[in-house]
Amino acid sequence: MHNDSSVIALVARVSDGDQEAWNEIIERYSPLVWNICLRYQLDRQDIDDVGQSVWLLLVEHIGSLREAAALPGWLATTTRREALRVLRAGRRHEHADLPPEDQMPPYPDAATIEEEVVVAERNAALRAAFAELPPRCQELLSMLASDPPPVYVDVSQKLGIPVGGIGPTRARCLGRLRRSPHLAGVLGGGASDVEVSETGR
Amino acid sequence: MPEVWDDERLFAALREALHAREAVPAEFVDAGKSVFAWHNIDAELAQLTYDSIRDADYEPSLRAEAASIRALTFTSAHLTVELEVTGDTLLGQIIPAQGGVIRVQPRDGGETTVAADEIGCFSICPIPSGPFRLYCRTGGDLDALTGWITLDP
Repeated sequence: MHNDSSVIALVARVSDGDQEAWNEIIERYSPLVWNICLRYQLDRQDIDDVGQSVWLLLVEHIGSLREAAALPGWLATTTRREALRVLRAGRRHEHADLPPEDQMPPYPDAATIEEEVVVAERNAALRAAFAELPPRCQELLSMLASDPPPVYVDVSQKLGIPVGGIGPTRARCLGRLRRSPHLAGVLGGGASDVEVSETGR
Repeated sequence: MPEVWDDERLFAALREALHAREAVPAEFVDAGKSVFAWHNIDAELAQLTYDSIRDADYEPSLRAEAASIRALTFTSAHLTVELEVTGDTLLGQIIPAQGGVIRVQPRDGGETTVAADEIGCFSICPIPSGPFRLYCRTGGDLDALTGWITLDP
């Protein structure tokens, strides 16, 4: 369903002791671990604790992952288990300001976590595709994506593109992004993606 | 599903992807990268199983004592590490009792090493001011690595 070949390759390189590949895995999936911790409403110290456990377990088990492509799911499950561990440990600590057990916010359900995995995989693929765009496209798209959205006059001044050229350049950059092999199968049907980007030129 | 994403949908998705990455603090990512140093090292994670601050309420008989002494226990499948703060020194013991080497690893770097004697006792002085963890290397097959420890002076 997804284009997982890059994950599989990364996992294989990590097993061979490649620190760069490990860094890439951390870059890709730290938002997944981070967001699941937020779902459990952990504080920063607990998130660091969970992060350390998850990555250590990964470094320990990466050679024996039965299916490398299942890495995001494995990370989600492990993060969830570790989050529950620190929550259980913390709950024993009697805080006067802690609401009673039955008024605690509910744990996120399995569907919510599964959704985090899907979003994390899509986001990772989009960032990988984005990182391979020409620098000019990256500059333009990241400037347009900033929060709050910039006005075109500012973009034009900073990048030296006439205001009237921003729209077409943006479209061209998005077209390149869409054709990235990283996004095959991620944004819907792969074949029809190509078809549309061809006719759109 | 084979519906094609138009530019607006693709751009919105890209925007979300970039923001999701930016929302994660750099230190969190860097801490993850540094974990790779544990690749191919036979260490198990020892998890915090007792903290006097947290668990004192569960042991009423010890409450008075526990309030004055900070004690922590980390447990892995093969080793237990007991820690106790005494003044400006952190006293520790590896259980089952055995000699070994304890590496004190502050998160900010600057690792130091102390020895554990034949009954597993060691002392760390001064106590690191920031978060740190202990890597306990014994004669056995598996070493143990504690979670992050922060002891406020």
